[in-house]
Amino acid sequence: MLALLRLIVIGFVVLTIIYIALSIYSRRVRRGKLYQKWAHGPRLVDRDIFVQRGLKRYDGSIRRKLILGVYIVPVGLVILTVYLTNFN
Amino acid sequence: MAIIKWTFWGVIWLIIAAFFHYTLPQVDIVRITDTYEKRIDFGENSIFWSHADVGNSTALGNRDVFFIQTRRAKGDVMVYRNEDTGWGWPPYFKFDTTNLQAEASDLKSAAGTPQYVAVKHYGWRNEFLSIFPNAVSVRVVDGPDASKGIPFLNIIILILFAAVVYAIWVRWRRFKRARIDPTLERLEDDIAEKQGRFARWRAGRKNK
Repeated sequence: MLALLRLIVIGFVVLTIIYIALSIYSRRVRRGKLYQKWAHGPRLVDRDIFVQRGLKRYDGSIRRKLILGVYIVPVGLVILTVYLTNFN
Repeated sequence: MAIIKWTFWGVIWLIIAAFFHYTLPQVDIVRITDTYEKRIDFGENSIFWSHADVGNSTALGNRDVFFIQTRRAKGDVMVYRNEDTGWGWPPYFKFDTTNLQAEASDLKSAAGTPQYVAVKHYGWRNEFLSIFPNAVSVRVVDGPDASKGIPFLNIIILILFAAVVYAIWVRWRRFKRARIDPTLERLEDDIAEKQGRFARWRAGRKNK
């Protein structure tokens, strides 16, 4: 049981670091794209308001939730490996 | 300096290659001649052995280990150990050691009436360290010339690893060109200038 606990704890810490890094990176990329879009658009609203609105929409999007795959994919791989090694 | 650099990277890549050669699965076509268990007192070679079966005590220094004795289709013999990897490294998540031993025992055959099987395993056999590859699965095959199958898993893992290494290397090279090289050049220019000033000062003293 101790080995399983160790795997879970270390795995969780490593995946969380990856998750946070990826989230920050992805949000920054989105912000950059919104600046671009504003600069090339009709500029009907203030730039900061435009970007804030865009980021708020991004926070609720599926694209952002896809980053949760960082947790789901490795856990899925472990379950698949357990099945293939022992019960197949 | 170049020799030190090449030796350093040579050693690093050798270690990485050895790591993958040890950890990734390989398949042998063999005939199982016997299965047995033996008590092992782990010593210097303990890193090449796995842990006690999942759920059992890990406090003891020795335990019984299952072995599978085989003759390979090539003609030489090979002995595999059969141990749980459990939740540890390498990540095979193998818990069915005892079932595998039962399957292997069932597939035993004599030289006269051979029954060939494909043993998937990882690890090395080394007589000087008394270490054995760990069998992961057995599967019945038609004969000694049976196909081992294409190692898709190994191909995928090695391609992913190469991609990661390449990505890091490209970024490092870019960083070096942008930051480190200009700084070094500035330092060199600085030193050259100071040396020039020193030489002029000495020349000036001599002329007096």
